[in-house]
Amino acid sequence: MKTVNNISRQVRLIFGALLLTAFSLQLSASSHREAPLIANDPLADNTDLYVFVSPDNPNMVTIIANYIPIQLPHGGPNYQTFGENIRYEIHIDNDVATTGDDVTYRFTFTRTNEDPSTFFNIRLGKQNNMMRYKMEKSDDGGSTWTTIVASGVVPPNNIGPRSIEGGAGMNMPYSTLFGNAITNASSGEKVFCGPTDDPFFVDLAGIFDLGDAPRQSSGAARDGLAGYNVSSIAIQIPISMLQKDGKTVDKATSILDADFVIGVWASASRQQIQTLNTDGSQSFSGNWVQVSRLGMPLTNEAVIPLGMKDKWNSLTPYQDLANISDFGGFFYNPELALYMDDALFGGAVPGFSKLRVQRNSLQGFDFGNGNDGLYGLKGSSAVAGTALDDAVFGTLLLPAAASPRSVDLWPIFHTGVPNVRPYHLATGKGGDPLAAGKPFIHNFLPNGGDMLRLNMAVPATDRTSADFSSSGLVQAAVLGLTDSRFNGSSSLQFIPNMDGFPNGRRLEDDVTKIELQAVSGVVLAAIGLWYDDYTAGGSNPVTQDLLDVLTYSTGVDANDTSFKTAFPYLQSPWSGTGKSSGSTVAYTQPAILGPTWTVGINDLNKEARFVSNYPNPFISSTTFNVELTDNSKVIIEVFNMAGKLVATPLNGLRSAGNHEVNWDSNNLLPGLYLARVKTMSNNVERMNALRLVKAQ
Amino acid sequence: MQVKNTQPKTSNSLFMRLGMMAFISFLALSTLASSHREAPLIANDPLADNTDLYAFRSPDNPNTITIIANYIPAELPYGGPNYHSFGENIRYEIHIDNNVSTAGDDVIYRFTFNKTNEDPSTFFNIRLGKENLKTTYTLERSIDGGKTFSVVISNGVVPPPNIGARSIENSTVGLGTTYASLISGAITTASSGEKIYCGPADDPFFVDLGGIFDLGDAPRQMNNNKVRDGLARYNTHTIAIQVDISTLQKDGKSVAMAANILDGDYVIGVWASASRMATKTLSTTGGNPAYSGNWVQVSRLGMPLTNEAVIPIGMKDYWNSLTPYDEITDTLLDRYFYNPELALYMDDSKFGGAVPAFSALRVQSAALQSFDFRNGADGLYGLKGSTAVAGTALDDAVFGTLLLPGAGMPRSVDLWPTFHTGVPNVIPYQLATGKAGNPLAAGKPFINNFLPNGGDMLRLNMATTVTDRTSADFSSDGLIHAAVLGLTDARFNADASLQFIPNMDGFPNGRRLEDDVTRIELQAVSGAVLAAIGLWYDDYNASDAAASPVTNHLLNVLQYSTGVESNDVAFKTSFPYVAAPWRGTAVEAQGTY
Repeated sequence: MKTVNNISRQVRLIFGALLLTAFSLQLSASSHREAPLIANDPLADNTDLYVFVSPDNPNMVTIIANYIPIQLPHGGPNYQTFGENIRYEIHIDNDVATTGDDVTYRFTFTRTNEDPSTFFNIRLGKQNNMMRYKMEKSDDGGSTWTTIVASGVVPPNNIGPRSIEGGAGMNMPYSTLFGNAITNASSGEKVFCGPTDDPFFVDLAGIFDLGDAPRQSSGAARDGLAGYNVSSIAIQIPISMLQKDGKTVDKATSILDADFVIGVWASASRQQIQTLNTDGSQSFSGNWVQVSRLGMPLTNEAVIPLGMKDKWNSLTPYQDLANISDFGGFFYNPELALYMDDALFGGAVPGFSKLRVQRNSLQGFDFGNGNDGLYGLKGSSAVAGTALDDAVFGTLLLPAAASPRSVDLWPIFHTGVPNVRPYHLATGKGGDPLAAGKPFIHNFLPNGGDMLRLNMAVPATDRTSADFSSSGLVQAAVLGLTDSRFNGSSSLQFIPNMDGFPNGRRLEDDVTKIELQAVSGVVLAAIGLWYDDYTAGGSNPVTQDLLDVLTYSTGVDANDTSFKTAFPYLQSPWSGTGKSSGSTVAYTQPAILGPTWTVGINDLNKEARFVSNYPNPFISSTTFNVELTDNSKVIIEVFNMAGKLVATPLNGLRSAGNHEVNWDSNNLLPGLYLARVKTMSNNVERMNALRLVKAQ
Repeated sequence: MQVKNTQPKTSNSLFMRLGMMAFISFLALSTLASSHREAPLIANDPLADNTDLYAFRSPDNPNTITIIANYIPAELPYGGPNYHSFGENIRYEIHIDNNVSTAGDDVIYRFTFNKTNEDPSTFFNIRLGKENLKTTYTLERSIDGGKTFSVVISNGVVPPPNIGARSIENSTVGLGTTYASLISGAITTASSGEKIYCGPADDPFFVDLGGIFDLGDAPRQMNNNKVRDGLARYNTHTIAIQVDISTLQKDGKSVAMAANILDGDYVIGVWASASRMATKTLSTTGGNPAYSGNWVQVSRLGMPLTNEAVIPIGMKDYWNSLTPYDEITDTLLDRYFYNPELALYMDDSKFGGAVPAFSALRVQSAALQSFDFRNGADGLYGLKGSTAVAGTALDDAVFGTLLLPGAGMPRSVDLWPTFHTGVPNVIPYQLATGKAGNPLAAGKPFINNFLPNGGDMLRLNMATTVTDRTSADFSSDGLIHAAVLGLTDARFNADASLQFIPNMDGFPNGRRLEDDVTRIELQAVSGAVLAAIGLWYDDYNASDAAASPVTNHLLNVLQYSTGVESNDVAFKTSFPYVAAPWRGTAVEAQGTY
């Protein structure tokens, strides 16, 4: 009761503020390669955003922002990684009473070539295109910044066993490189930036062939992102650091405590002016311009039409409300709903045949595109005191006639859903969708912008529990409506998957399916606006139409690999030489034949049976040991990695036996060198090579 | 009379030109100076990333040359909702040099693209017969080195992406056509006579990317020796031109007028590029960026793999910014050909032991018990100025100092000219057949794609006969296989006369779609060209008259393969030869095949 009062007070407060903005408007109004411009700037392309209570650490929230879509694990020689001259940012709003972000994290990356003399990415422990990052944090909406990680490590790409585990490579397992990159920021967050398996899963090919998901005729559904990598930024943050008053989660008054809602979005920005120089380099200047953003998954991919996608990417969520006249309509009357309505294009998209929008819910409400939905109730006593009451929420939820999805799709993306009527589960409503029902969700942060909203007070569902479901809140609603553990009363209970999308987003959540179900009206059904085949007053609202929606699947329900059980939860990136590195070709290598004739061929170490140096690595000097079987001319030459001769420690005749040659290396820069030991007797030259490491 | 004079005349003019080049260009120099995601910057600008270049005589129309320039690497066939296509505000260019005595390009084709949305109200690419991001192009041609351009195609059609049956064939919701007719409908004849196709295609390149860039693991020694074509099932964007040989030949001659199959007047050098305007200004409101300033070349391609596997990472962006004509005065890049990094891994005295996959490939350290071509060694430099090289290409008086620029540059005689001048039909660049053991003697004529402008180009002698793609002699090993036939096959190794040997029209004499350029270049780095001209591998005993030069080391090199020797789908038998793009809905999930 107290909670509900708090909420409606907050709601009034907030919508009071919103009204100022919204009143002036005449009309009220996830993402791989989703908009034309950003598709051509992969480094700045924000692909997915996840926010969830950490399953192994419920005092923490994990935020994951992924960038750079569809990275071939074998995409050498310049494997993909974060870009320089880009600001990768994660933004958190935890208080609608303050303007803009309350916490902002900014990541900037720097590239170094440790060995520019090779075309390989990794050679002899040296890494090219090696990335390091600076992480900054702002607690004042971006006015001031504090560096909290000065030089974070990005692990190298998982090129293959020779480059990673091999002695000519990094000489350690990938798991070590991955684990070593997890860093604690000076302000207490745990951070990982690096390549990972792309956790998203979707039948890209089917769904973008005019909505053929699940596939009707072109073979089985396929996870189009299976086997590809992405570049991830993962942060694990104590809830008290994100909660607006610094409270820990155990201070929450209930699992729907309104003070624990955060809105998260991610972005990438570039400086406005890019100049190509004639020597092959580039320079950047000017103000920073946002080129990509992401809050809710698929907004810009499957809701915003092509002509508006680039503009959408340029706005911040805080500008969404002011642009509601441009964008609101895509939520009020979504394109996808055209394909879930037999009176419109439903027949043209057979893949969606199980998804049908309510055209005659409770024999009174039509949510088909262009119809009025609940608008007829506006101003009536039926909605007095509910979220649909203009006096409480302003006009955002019932902005105008012919905007039927202003009551479900628009708020899910732009305000979150409050724990007030009519947004309770139908359980306990006694057939009246506007009555009080079972509390279900409160991720209400009504700033009007597209964000991923999470109530951090909702406990995490055990990933190993039988109740765990990738259908997120849709499955929680099913349990709340139909499972005897939860549908016995309208009391507030934790229902498994209440922590699922769209209350935040877990890595496992099948957001494509959930959003398609939402477009087909499943949220309306959950609050009691049942499908057309339910006759109001009938005994069982779980009709065939509802079952069809609930059993709908695109055919790709889960990631192609498991997730880790600990931070950063993401799976290690696919290896560049593994099963994702191309189609196999039958080939048997022929045996290597020995030399036809051997006299005069270099057989190494005939005279110099043993060549070594000690110490190695060394600082100011090292000693070569050469053991000769015959009298020989011996030349020891030292080359840098560019092949330049930098020293000749020995050039002279030596007799058979052991020889020590001390070499003063004080004048050399630290780094990797090669020593070539040549011996010459009877006009035959023989060589051996040593790798020298001069330390700092 | 004319026939009698032809051969010596050609040689004379060749030598005259060589002399001219030596004196005009080369004396002034005190020091002498192909690609998917190959350089750091261009890897981040896929639309302008030039992936492969091909130039070959059209097998079904031998009076024409087909040039194919591919852009945009590793396109996912189902990469929606914004499928890849050519970019706006980019100049895609194909350049041809056919005459070293004229400066720069003799023919340039410039393509620029334009996109329109026929139905911006949907997020689908194709709906109800309407196409978004619909791409059309203008083709301009210059025959005066780029001073003036004439429009030869306006509003050329680029087919849409091959999304799936609903978007393409379905006549209710899609375009109601077939993809084959979209491709054939896009083939256009320019007002200047060339046949043109611009559009998506299967990427014709094949390579075990994952293996080879894992420190040279090709063929795979790791991962259970499982070899993989890393570009199988990916698309690219192709610009294909079919052009009459008489349009490209410097004097307008048809191929029937060639004196012989090595006629030096029929050599062209081809390179491709992409350029952008210098300044890009982002819109703050999500509008298209504004472009201004001079055009700056951001990608180029002549020989395959140059910038991928020869130029080291620190120099790759710089390499992309040069034109081939800048290279003759450049002093930074030649060293990577004289002493190539890859040769370090084919040499047991260097890092040979560290790259077991290359163990079949060993650079000559004692060819004829005399010549060491390993990195840092002198190769043939010891012969400089001697009577042995007088009158050959290695004579400073003939060629200038380009081929023997200094000590410690062993590959100045094979790799450097293969990439920068082409190979002339003069001593020592003739097959060992007929040389009687002396690599500096006259041998069997083999190749003349010599166009000595000093720049990285794909050089083709257009007079060289086409090898029938269905012939048993056809080989993806290109000139390497032609050399094998010329040295070992009874049809060709009986005497030193000029004969057409199958695959003389193969890489690096131009590049056919089928040519396994990765293998050929690795074989070349390991000294296969040196062996072909008689600088045999170490295990040949030059003092044993009875010994065969086809030793086990040579056999190892000839049998070497990365394991990926052909494309994953067949090529078409007619223009544009590249296979249709993979259909989005027809491609299996990666990792499942």
